[in-house]
Amino acid sequence: MKWLDFFLGKKTPKSTFVEEYESGFDKKIPALRAISQLSFVVLDTETTGFNPKIDNVVSFGAIKLKGYTLQVANSMERYLDAPVQNRESVKVHEILYPIETSPLKDFGKDLLEYIGSDIIVGHHIGFDLAMLEKTLKPFGFKKFLNPVIDTKYLAMRLEKGPHFDTKSAKQEEYSLDAVCERFGIELADRHTAAGDAFLTAQFLMKLLKIAEIKGIKDFGGLIR
Amino acid sequence: MANVIVNRVKEFLKRFPPFTFLNDASLGLVAKGVEVKYFAQEEYLFKQGDPAQDFFFVLKEGSVQLTENKEGKERVVEVCDEGDVFGVLALLGKRPYILNARAIEDSLIYAVPVAIFEKILNENSRVSLYFAAGFASGQVVVRTDLSQSQKARRDFTELSKDNGLMIFSGQSDLNFSIDVLTCPKGTPISKAVEKMAEKGVGSIVIVDHNHFPLGIITDKDIRNKLVAQQKSYETPVEDLMSAPVLTKRKDAGFAELYLTMIKNRLHHLIFTEDGSLESKVTGILSDHDILLSQGNSPAVLINALMNTWDVAEMSKIRNRAEMLLKYYLENEVAMDFVANIISEINDIIIQRAVQLAVKKHSPNHLEASKVKFCFLSMGSEGREEQLLRTDLDNSIVFEDVSKEKSEETQAYMLLIAQEVIETLFACGFQACPADMMANNPKWCQPMSVWKSYFSDWILSPNQQALLNATIFFDFRPVFGHKKLAEELTEHIYQEIADKAIFLNFLAKNALLNPPPLGFFRNFLVEKSGEQKDKFDIKLRAMMPLADMARLLVLSHRVVGINNTFKRFEKLSELEPNYTELLIEAGKAYEILMRMRAIEGLKSGNSGRYIHPEDLGKLQRQMLKNTFAPIDELQKIMRIRFQIDFFTG
Repeated sequence: MKWLDFFLGKKTPKSTFVEEYESGFDKKIPALRAISQLSFVVLDTETTGFNPKIDNVVSFGAIKLKGYTLQVANSMERYLDAPVQNRESVKVHEILYPIETSPLKDFGKDLLEYIGSDIIVGHHIGFDLAMLEKTLKPFGFKKFLNPVIDTKYLAMRLEKGPHFDTKSAKQEEYSLDAVCERFGIELADRHTAAGDAFLTAQFLMKLLKIAEIKGIKDFGGLIR
Repeated sequence: MANVIVNRVKEFLKRFPPFTFLNDASLGLVAKGVEVKYFAQEEYLFKQGDPAQDFFFVLKEGSVQLTENKEGKERVVEVCDEGDVFGVLALLGKRPYILNARAIEDSLIYAVPVAIFEKILNENSRVSLYFAAGFASGQVVVRTDLSQSQKARRDFTELSKDNGLMIFSGQSDLNFSIDVLTCPKGTPISKAVEKMAEKGVGSIVIVDHNHFPLGIITDKDIRNKLVAQQKSYETPVEDLMSAPVLTKRKDAGFAELYLTMIKNRLHHLIFTEDGSLESKVTGILSDHDILLSQGNSPAVLINALMNTWDVAEMSKIRNRAEMLLKYYLENEVAMDFVANIISEINDIIIQRAVQLAVKKHSPNHLEASKVKFCFLSMGSEGREEQLLRTDLDNSIVFEDVSKEKSEETQAYMLLIAQEVIETLFACGFQACPADMMANNPKWCQPMSVWKSYFSDWILSPNQQALLNATIFFDFRPVFGHKKLAEELTEHIYQEIADKAIFLNFLAKNALLNPPPLGFFRNFLVEKSGEQKDKFDIKLRAMMPLADMARLLVLSHRVVGINNTFKRFEKLSELEPNYTELLIEAGKAYEILMRMRAIEGLKSGNSGRYIHPEDLGKLQRQMLKNTFAPIDELQKIMRIRFQIDFFTG
């Protein structure tokens, strides 16, 4: 009686992979773990639009970072079957006929296994997380439990100081294109999820080095 | 795997030689294996003398300078540009780096794993030729175009005319013997061995009547070709010698000598007057001489550790110690010596780590930092047997403090512990999967709590208590107030004296794993899972021995000997009836430690699982022989501690 559950507002039962993901957070990352010892997962999504309520994830890309090293082999890229192919977004992302799409459940399982309890990083990451949380909802997933770093705000903090009011920043000054250009990262494969994740990861390495020079040397300092 | 990222790396690499020579599939394989690394300005990618990493490097963005330490200064040898390949030479020779590489701008580096590339080198002759040609001409950087490479070559030869490839920082570093032990053809081996023993050397050169070299006999030849083959001791030396030998002139470039030895997998190189075989012997160079010349002697490493507070530097030194370990294992250096050196190095790292932690946190915890504490190593590190950087087991014991101060004190001690463990992780150690580490509040406690732990385990020896006992009873103070550790030991012996039956429980636990041979004297291998058909050397052979050594030491109230083979040595004195068996057990343990470490270094893991099929016949026999004393000892334990009448 699934429809009944729905009307009665009962919760969707949790899939085992969601439970497994949640059980990975028993231990907290110690505040004084050095930056070079932290595991990050840098991710990006491409979507049909900007409203998590109606839009869908079209593709997902991510790469892991530890000790200032990205392992190409340890990256992830998926294309999903979006219910509606939104013309506008197709124009931006040029994903018309995805090569190989994954069923949602496989994607969800692989995604949570891949992310584990690492620190999630992305540029304007809040949106990506909202989209992913929506995608995983049918499997009883509520929200990501990982520590999260938004490279956008980290960049502002490092460039403008810790007391800078992030709301007063010029948004276009902190777009991924703008920061990559400013930090000398070669732009390529923009608007593919994996390409953007790869760029963001390189950007993160630069930011972390700057943070270390400024005396932010460990997890506690980084996450505040 | 993200294809977009792989393609991105591929697109970059294929613009530069030697990657230009690769077809799409090979290039894809290389690109997938790439690690993207970031180095900030002034950071070193590697330093002269560091062991070769498993990668060579392609500069993606930024700028990297290769420099050489000479007369206390850093001299620039090369500046790398986008697409330049460097760090290859050390890799192909599997020897330490000969130059420093430093980022002079923030740089992005593609690190290409050598394992993947070696495969391609073998398949693609153009690529290997490209490398060979480059290096024959003394290039350190694989250049994008020819004009640049010629320029590089010229600059380079000027700089390094005295020692070709600049493997060594200076000739004076290399010491070899001029006084070569020789004997004429026809000498019986017994005479030759006598001479070697007399002079205390490991090799003898066989010469003809002109004193021209014919061959060489080493300790290894005596073991493998004489004793193992059960040949007569009157066999003439020429029947046993390795021949022909490789000869060089004494003043040959050091790089040439060095490369000859590596390429031919030689342990010894013989100098003759004119460098040919038809010339008189004038000296001998061994790989041991080379190792010493590269500053990898334990004294040098320990000295280097004592002179740094930089964690990254400590980590590098620990990596170099691993090279030393490998060399020792391959050359069958005595295990107590090896274990001593490695434990010493580990101890110094821990001591430095604790000092760093105290320095960092004591100013903010003035009260708590006055409390005396002791950092204890446990398990294999406690027994001074940890050769590889496998699981960390450690704890902190501190003085009892008043109730109101206890929370603050423990918080401070945990902070210290966490800091130390972070440093140890950075130095390549692995976490204990069971969390038996000092940063676990349970194992960071005041004296009274520790005493109650031990009392509990001794008074109610359930399964968990016995498991804890096998790890915690081997504790050893590494830093801090040793008196605290002594007090704890004293407490344990008192408790055991009151409750002798605890030893029977411990004995029962030690006998859980029967001798590891099956009915047909085959190895008992794992039946299923990831380790199927492999032999668990730790559980099946080492643990039973370590457990029995601990048990016997406790029953004799021996204090201060933690090492399993030293424990057996001591026990052999204490139990004259079993002297021989106990000595044998100690020897067996040394052999097992060596095998496990070699396996671990070979496969880059803990070395715990050994594939019996992969062992040579001799090694397999040797492994089986170690089981005999386990069996014997277990029988004795069974009777002594009345296991069969005792159902727990």
